[in-house]
Amino acid sequence: MSILVNEKTKTIVQGITGKNAALHTKFMIEYGTRIVAGVTPGKGGMEIEKVMVYDTVKECMDKYPDIAATSIWVPPRFACDAILEAVDAGIKTIVVITERIPIHDMLYARAWAKEKGITVIGGNTPGVISPGKALIGMLPTITFKPGRIGTVARSGAVTYYLANSLNLAGFGESTSVGLGGDPILGANFEDILREFENDPDTDAVVMAGEIGGVYEELAAPYIGKMKKPVIAYITGKAAPQGKRLGHAGAIVEGNMGTAKSKIEALRANGAIIAETFSEIPELVRKALTGN
Amino acid sequence: MRLYEYEAKKLFKRHGVSVPDGVIVDKTTIDELNKAVFPVVVKAQVFLGGRGKAGLVRTANNKDEAIDHINKIIGIKHGPFFVQKVLVERKVNIKKEYYLAATIDRLEHKPLIIACPEGGVDIEEIAKKNKKSILKYYFNPGHKIHEFTARKIAADIGIHGQAMDQAAKMIQHAYRIFIEFDCKLVEINPLALTDNAQLLAVDAKIDIDEDAMFRNPELKEMGIFARHEIGELTEREKKAKILGIPYVDLEGGDIGVFPGGAGFGIAAIDLIQHYNGKPANFMDSGGAPTQEKLRAMLGLLIDNPDVKAIFGARFGGISRCDDWAKAVVQYVIDNEPQKPMIMRMAGNMEEEGRKIFEQAIKDYPELFKDIKIYSVNTPIEKVIEETIRIARSIPDKNTQGDL
Repeated sequence: MSILVNEKTKTIVQGITGKNAALHTKFMIEYGTRIVAGVTPGKGGMEIEKVMVYDTVKECMDKYPDIAATSIWVPPRFACDAILEAVDAGIKTIVVITERIPIHDMLYARAWAKEKGITVIGGNTPGVISPGKALIGMLPTITFKPGRIGTVARSGAVTYYLANSLNLAGFGESTSVGLGGDPILGANFEDILREFENDPDTDAVVMAGEIGGVYEELAAPYIGKMKKPVIAYITGKAAPQGKRLGHAGAIVEGNMGTAKSKIEALRANGAIIAETFSEIPELVRKALTGN
Repeated sequence: MRLYEYEAKKLFKRHGVSVPDGVIVDKTTIDELNKAVFPVVVKAQVFLGGRGKAGLVRTANNKDEAIDHINKIIGIKHGPFFVQKVLVERKVNIKKEYYLAATIDRLEHKPLIIACPEGGVDIEEIAKKNKKSILKYYFNPGHKIHEFTARKIAADIGIHGQAMDQAAKMIQHAYRIFIEFDCKLVEINPLALTDNAQLLAVDAKIDIDEDAMFRNPELKEMGIFARHEIGELTEREKKAKILGIPYVDLEGGDIGVFPGGAGFGIAAIDLIQHYNGKPANFMDSGGAPTQEKLRAMLGLLIDNPDVKAIFGARFGGISRCDDWAKAVVQYVIDNEPQKPMIMRMAGNMEEEGRKIFEQAIKDYPELFKDIKIYSVNTPIEKVIEETIRIARSIPDKNTQGDL
């Protein structure tokens, strides 16, 4: 098993005619992801990578009622509407690749999704991969190997480095989830940790957080209740206050969102804290073998 | 992105929130004072609080006094910021102060209005003293504020009678500004009731969402452009912005950081500090950067006189190591940088990338003598330690004698 996405998940691509989306549609299909349709308003009838393009999400649903996931690649100003369209169509998992979505837009879209019990991943997520099964998003597939460690991180590059260092040590991933670098996210660490805790094919979880917001702190009490070990790596100790570091969400505002407060909250609830990338596989091994 | 008080007040005035009459003055526009009505309050325009204690808010009874204050205040360093402008406002006689703000609750994922019958001091101070006096009103995202809600808030903080209608309108207007201008915070503290029964926003703080500026052209018309969340951009940061590169200068650093994506960039500056090195910058290449962008990124670092050595890392995922190698090699050949570069390259097309570097080292041994490329076999931490060691071995400019 794995979480969120597997080889059976039928999925669509919203904004498929964009350059980036088209390229990654190709990679996703090559990896085995079941992409059944794409959407770009006004471009219905086109084909991208042999995938039929529709004008609306509803038309895709009419044709393939069992679509379970979508990924959104549209420019930021259209992202809210694209999420709402997917929510309205009843797609259960929405992966939002678009970055720097206006905060008020994301609050609005998130509230809609929540009301309908729909999972939104992102914005600014690199995607979700269940190695050997399927990928939704733009994670570089060569970096991931099938295995029994779940990873969840805010950033794409950190997700690759995590997988890479785990793989070099002989581990692999059940699923790797990018939460996204935007300040307002759909799913948070706790949501994904719950999925991994309940997944019989995940033995341990590595989470990588960064400065900004309070999603790491929020997850801490749940980690205290988990049976599976959680190894946490938090970046941004060297970050200056009041300046965004690349990700829209990566900013220390006043006393909120510092690396220190996150590490303290996680440690107090039993998470194993890693100081560097290289020590993560060893900490995983120790947590699993008990020595 | 924090606005200056005078910018926030300008926005208030244009959208129905009353503020004291005032003029904005810097050293070249002292004549603006002729429009002021005395007595006035001279307020330094800086992003940090604590202006009162720092002597950056002063009363003046006439023009000469005001000029005297202005000359003393402008140029003062408050926190990391230098005072460049002052707001000269008509002094109002305050009968009662309140607190009013609209912001986003990051736990509830909802906008809310915070109101308090006490104002004029930090909301954190009020919370310490009397948490119960702080009232919160949650809104559904995207919903507007109703008139009756605004009246209720006014009544809850004890505004009745003549001022009630004024207060309710002000609360509505402030919330509208919060929504329409995509704000993260609109704070009026104090909201003052004057002795002639007028309600005025005596201080104003607005944080806007930079990512929504595209739909708020009025800000640009008002001369408000991108800056840090708190603070102006440095010259190098402005240059990077034009090039489309997220970049932040870090004070006192000597290692230029040339990473891949943002998340790894944040990790890289941490790791450099973890091993007692001094990162000079944060930078983000974005996904699959072009060769041109990569060369521009390197240029920013090489041109920084404080940078002694460069730490680079490329994790080839979607992007290819050989493309990255080509960009670095071309930069070195074109610009002959006299600074060591210590880099790690791993992932997609790593072998091809390595060949490009090997060829370049063979063809231009002199140019590439201070450039080291590591592979997936060397942990990133080792590469960082090596960079720090090399940066340390290079003396500071001012200790190189007087030649």
